Amino acid sequence: MGKITYTKLKGSQNMRQRLLLATLKSTPILIEDIHADDTLPGLRPHEISLLHLFEKLTDDCVVEINETGTKLKYKPGIIVGGSNMVHDCGLTRAIGYFLEPLILLGLFSRKPLAIILKGITNDSKDPSVDTFRSTTFPMLKHFGVPSEGLKLEIKSRGVSPHGGGEVHLSIPNVQQLTATMWTDEGMVKRIRGEAFTTRVSPQLGNEMIYAARGIFNSLLPDVYIASDYRKRLETGSGNSPGYGISLVAETTSGCCISADTTISYTRGEEAEDIEGEDKKEMIPAADVGERIASVLLEEIEKGGVVDSTHQGLLFLLCALCPKDVSKVRVGKLSPYGIETLRQIKDLLDVQFVIKPDPSTGTVILKCWGSGMKNLSRKTT
Amino acid sequence: MAMDSGAGEQSHRAHRSRQSGASAKKKAKDKNKNQNSDQKQQNPKAFAFRSNAKAKRLQSRTVEKEQRRLHLPVMDRSYGEPPPFVVVVQGPPQVGKSLLIKTLVKHYTKHNLPEVRGPITIVSGKQRRLQFVECPNDINGMIDAAKFADLALLLIDGSYGFEMETFEFLNILQVHGFPKVMGVLTHLDKFKDVKKLKKTKQRLKHRFWTEIYDGAKLFYLSGLIHGKYPKREIHNLARFISVMKFPPLSWRTSHPYILVDRFEDVTPPERVQMNNKCDRNVTLYGYLRGCNMKKGTKVHIAGVGDFSLAGVTGLSDPCPLPSAAKKKGLRDKEKLFYAPMSGLGDLLYDKDAVYININDHFVQYSKVDEMEGTTHKGNKWDVGEALVKSLQNIKNPIDEKLEKSKISLFSQNPKLIRDIEPLERHQSDGEEDDNEFDEESADSDLDDSKSSDQDEGGNFDEGNADASVLEQVEFHSGRKRRKAIFSDGVDHSNLKGTDDELEDDEDDDDKDEDDGSNDGTESCSGSEFLDSDNDDLKSDEDGMGNISKWRASLVERSSKKQNINLMQLVYGKSASASNASANEVQDDSENEESDEDDFFKPKGQREKSLKEGLDGGNINTEDCSKSTNFSSLKNWKDEEVYESVRDRFTTGDWSKGALRDRMPEARTEEEDDMVGDFEDLEVGEKFGSHKEDDSSNGGIQKEDDDAIEERRLKKLALRSKFDAHYDGSEAPEEETDKQHGGKFHRSQENDSGYYDKLKEEIELQKQINIAELEDLDETTRLEIEGFRTGMYLRLEVHDVPFEMIEYFDPCHPILVGGIGLGEDNVGYMQTRLKRHRWHKKVLKTRDPIIVSIGWRRYQTTPVYAIEDQNGRHRMLKYTPEHMHCLAMFWGPLAPPKTGVLAVQNLSNNQASFRVIATAYILEFNHAARIVKKIKLVGHPCKIFKKTALVKDMFTSDLEVARFEGAAIRTVSGIRGQVKKAAKEEIGNRPKKKGGQPREGIARCTFEDRILMSDIVFLRAWTQVEVPQFYNPLTTSLQPREKTWQGMKTVAELRREHNLAVPVNKDSLYKPIERKPRKFNPLVIPKALQADLPFESKPKNIPHRKRPLLEDRRAVVMEPHERKVHALVQHLQLIRNDKMKKRKLKEEQKRKEVETERAKDEQVLRKRRREERQERYREQDKLKKKMRRHAEG
Repeated sequence: MGKITYTKLKGSQNMRQRLLLATLKSTPILIEDIHADDTLPGLRPHEISLLHLFEKLTDDCVVEINETGTKLKYKPGIIVGGSNMVHDCGLTRAIGYFLEPLILLGLFSRKPLAIILKGITNDSKDPSVDTFRSTTFPMLKHFGVPSEGLKLEIKSRGVSPHGGGEVHLSIPNVQQLTATMWTDEGMVKRIRGEAFTTRVSPQLGNEMIYAARGIFNSLLPDVYIASDYRKRLETGSGNSPGYGISLVAETTSGCCISADTTISYTRGEEAEDIEGEDKKEMIPAADVGERIASVLLEEIEKGGVVDSTHQGLLFLLCALCPKDVSKVRVGKLSPYGIETLRQIKDLLDVQFVIKPDPSTGTVILKCWGSGMKNLSRKTT
Repeated sequence: MAMDSGAGEQSHRAHRSRQSGASAKKKAKDKNKNQNSDQKQQNPKAFAFRSNAKAKRLQSRTVEKEQRRLHLPVMDRSYGEPPPFVVVVQGPPQVGKSLLIKTLVKHYTKHNLPEVRGPITIVSGKQRRLQFVECPNDINGMIDAAKFADLALLLIDGSYGFEMETFEFLNILQVHGFPKVMGVLTHLDKFKDVKKLKKTKQRLKHRFWTEIYDGAKLFYLSGLIHGKYPKREIHNLARFISVMKFPPLSWRTSHPYILVDRFEDVTPPERVQMNNKCDRNVTLYGYLRGCNMKKGTKVHIAGVGDFSLAGVTGLSDPCPLPSAAKKKGLRDKEKLFYAPMSGLGDLLYDKDAVYININDHFVQYSKVDEMEGTTHKGNKWDVGEALVKSLQNIKNPIDEKLEKSKISLFSQNPKLIRDIEPLERHQSDGEEDDNEFDEESADSDLDDSKSSDQDEGGNFDEGNADASVLEQVEFHSGRKRRKAIFSDGVDHSNLKGTDDELEDDEDDDDKDEDDGSNDGTESCSGSEFLDSDNDDLKSDEDGMGNISKWRASLVERSSKKQNINLMQLVYGKSASASNASANEVQDDSENEESDEDDFFKPKGQREKSLKEGLDGGNINTEDCSKSTNFSSLKNWKDEEVYESVRDRFTTGDWSKGALRDRMPEARTEEEDDMVGDFEDLEVGEKFGSHKEDDSSNGGIQKEDDDAIEERRLKKLALRSKFDAHYDGSEAPEEETDKQHGGKFHRSQENDSGYYDKLKEEIELQKQINIAELEDLDETTRLEIEGFRTGMYLRLEVHDVPFEMIEYFDPCHPILVGGIGLGEDNVGYMQTRLKRHRWHKKVLKTRDPIIVSIGWRRYQTTPVYAIEDQNGRHRMLKYTPEHMHCLAMFWGPLAPPKTGVLAVQNLSNNQASFRVIATAYILEFNHAARIVKKIKLVGHPCKIFKKTALVKDMFTSDLEVARFEGAAIRTVSGIRGQVKKAAKEEIGNRPKKKGGQPREGIARCTFEDRILMSDIVFLRAWTQVEVPQFYNPLTTSLQPREKTWQGMKTVAELRREHNLAVPVNKDSLYKPIERKPRKFNPLVIPKALQADLPFESKPKNIPHRKRPLLEDRRAVVMEPHERKVHALVQHLQLIRNDKMKKRKLKEEQKRKEVETERAKDEQVLRKRRREERQERYREQDKLKKKMRRHAEG
């Protein structure tokens, strides 16, 4: 019995889902060929940081990495959760990268999770923390997660080269999710958003807001974009200058569709001044506002109950439901969503029925939940 | 749904009251009595309303009772027709278990069962099947039987009374989620005395009630008639079984399981020949129960171990329920039974073959079935008969024929197809042919054979149209058929009569030519069958049939491809598909790409996206959920562009917006096909994905549709809820008002309480599930939800130890249970355990026990503990006598709240109670956190003022370092603290003498100076390790009569090896010997003495030789004084003398009185005794008289 059979996987793609699903299902996994052919082989810093985070949250999990870092053995433990935890997410990826698996992990942990995450709060690669607050949390409500205890506070904002952001996340734990029939996308009734600037002039924020409103004005009167200007360290600005905006369109049926971006110096650019430097400088705040508004409109045009960024999370939630049918509608399947579907099939053995709805150009997905229950929660 | 068909309209015969006989007389008497009393009306106010308080109390009591009755509603996730209910017949040996099963089987099927081996499935009614299993007589078999029983019949030998087996089994049942239980008393013919029989029944019944609940059913079987139980009693028992309801049990509804009723060894024979003891491949057959089973599920075979399934196949039901046609009772033919292990049952099904086993005298070629045959049109039974005949003198085997039929499916020779088809039908459905659809198709087949080709098409349409009314018909082995749903057909062909079928078909064809897409919609999910027929038709009707046929098939094929394209894209492994998709994506982006915004596009992203695409080529793609592509943004300032999404905003057209959100439920079938555009190269036309703009009829209608759909679901939910407990008083009112019906009803539901709301929600969810799953085709559904409960499955398991085959015994049923998420991992489990009060001893920590959790049975070594006030888990050496405690053990994990049963001795000949404890799982952990007290003892080796060096407490300096700061205490109560390991030069004298330095000497400080004779204690807690040991019980891999032997307890080992219990001499109690302590005199140094104040100085007074003056002096009295003194002395003398005399006198007097009283007492006692005797005699007499009266 002492022998552990590992599920063998390859490559570093979808590490987050793989680790998450392996933890939830408590199956040991073995990942080979992680960045094996790269000039810098082995696990990336953010992946290692993610492993540390998983180790922190679980009890008795075993992680083994070979010398070159191209092979990873992961034997999951019991998800414990708990409060008073701190995790430094590093500076290679934003906090959003860690938040996505963390939310699901928190839902199925023994004790409600409360954790402080430090690092980059906003960047252009990962969904920003504002988006999590405005879009992801309302999404969880559809799966029976109580909104009490679901909290994300942004203590300070940090953008890309030096970070320095800090958020306080707390997630309640549940016994199980509830299946949902979520196909009614509704019509957009209002648009909300938040524009932020750190260590730059607040004027840039105003410009972004103004530009974004300009796009929406012809479509909807109910647009309100809040501003969050942090100039000095005491007010919670990070270590680097930057600005960004996050927009959310709320529909009549309670769906939230979001788009966000952040403009800042990327890592390494500041020091070496490769061609990126002047290019970055060329993006004026007004253009950023306009672009992001356009992206949001495009997301709205695609349809679906969530935007393309949240597809993966949506599918994961559906697959983790009890043994009932869940049905959701999304716009065009994003590559990330497709990858997630594949991971779900491989690790959780849940397959989706995917049917296009040609009249609207959306896709309807149905699945039979895996019957996941929070086994680590203590009975009273 | 199969459930609600015919359940509602079933009519019951009214009760006919007895006209004559004893009960009629009794009734008449009662009636008279009643009338008499009515006339009298002794107290008309007796039942009138009297007390307010009493009424209130009564009301609250009823409410309380009602609330106590409620359970949290559990969702029943079994959707198909239910599997046969398992009736386990259990009892001590020689109580009549097999006989009961035999008699019941005889009652149901009119067959004599020679021997009861393995499960026996029978059809007991129109809606119900039963599976009888005899429970083996060993505890392992009992545990397994309790896990799959839906109903347990506990047989009790009435002449002997209860036996331990019954109580053991009841306990096992309780732990594994108490299924229904019914007691059956047998051997009642051994009582000669009627009164004694009556009393025994009463006694046994009450004992039974205390064990289960008051009013639990205990059935009496009085004696045997012709070696069988009386028919009437068995009939009654069958009635009780048939009305029984089986509540869902939580463990079982969350785990699939199979009670194996057929078991085959499918190892290649050459392998067995090579090595008789090689691992075998086996197939296990049985009905799937519990919940749906997916293909990848791991299973646990009870008594063997965990296996992953090598293959799962759904087989056609060997013992199907009779059709739901309205008729009373079962036909003889439908009284099926299936018991392959008993060597009975006519049909054996396998994945690729059907074996028919017919006794010669059962075969009748006459027109027995004519009656049934004539009810349907045509005389198809003649054909069937011919088929049976042809089957019997078959020349080439079935599979060969099957192959032929496959080949000929598309050829122009319909004869052969028809030849083979009904044959297959026969195979798949066995003897019974109740499937309506099959009848239909049979009809059409017949018609085919008669009519010309022209008619064929028409007939076929008709048949299929009918079929489309049927919601879903399942087709099984033999032939692969798919469901034919014609959603479009209704518009075109079906509304017209059969007269103008021909024209109709022509119309269809025309349409085919006009727009291929329409055709595509029609034949989207149509079978190949239909295709070929259509083709035939066309070739007949129009000359250019060839081309149209070709095109039609192309259209169809392409549409089909589109249908599965997305699924393939996501899940398909074929590289070509994914490549294509990647290209598609690329194309899209290219099309959409506008020339102006290149700002946001980083260099080389284009290539990157190409590379990374959707194909799984690059395994190290970055993990990024956001995929915003700024390069391909439209210009949203442009009015045309932003107007295109206008309808997605509340400022846009609401009806159009609403249209998007409607469920495409009704349309999916048609419109799925239109997704893909494709070009017909041959014709050169472009078949656009012709989107019908049905927005003209507005969103309002659609909204209506949606509302109707929702209402329909709700209605279904209500209905099934009603069905579930139709015996309840309130009946849900039908919604007459179409508009507000749903809402109105819901509000009412809300009023009636939280419980009903919960129930309704669950029911609604269930209906949604059913509705959603229904519109998937068979294969997809199988992949999505797995095999449904109630299906007959064939499980193939590879590499099973050969012992399983060798020691297979059909009397020991095999249980195959599915393993849930994460249940195949091992770890520590914490349980709340209580020793069974009938087990005579307490349990000892680390003594191996055998536990049964979930499907598993294994031996493990628990450590018992109790939770202290501060949350610490303190180890216990033994379980408490009458209390719960915690038990921690290592083993395969089971979810919290699962029941645990513990036994220690498996042997049958142990007289006492075998269940030692029951428990349930609290949580599981990867680490055991149980501690026990530890007391480290040390002695001072050197004492300074308040500091001392303590030796013997620790063994090394490292250990000392671990305990720095720990509190210590001496026996005399002086408290202290461990400081640090002692330095060498102070404590370690041996070093100075050239010896080894001694380790583990600690420097400690105390609140006071301690003595060398003091003992120093350190009290601490230490972690207790729970042994990581568990040993699965492999009882199926050994001869059944042998008792499984696992790890032995320490006591057993000692007994075997004749070893005494080791005794620690220090722990023995000895009489305490306390020597009187001798203290040395206190010596004060001279110098100190000199310094002391006089007061404190010891005074050294020499001993006097002569007494003191006061002692020595004489007293001389005066003469008067002397006189007075003499007088007083005289007076005193006189008084003393007087007193003495008086005392003597009194003494004498008292003695006299005493003797007198003693005499009286004696007399009195004597008299009393006589009186008492008299009284008792009287009473006894009276009692006897009364008894005589009562008896008389």
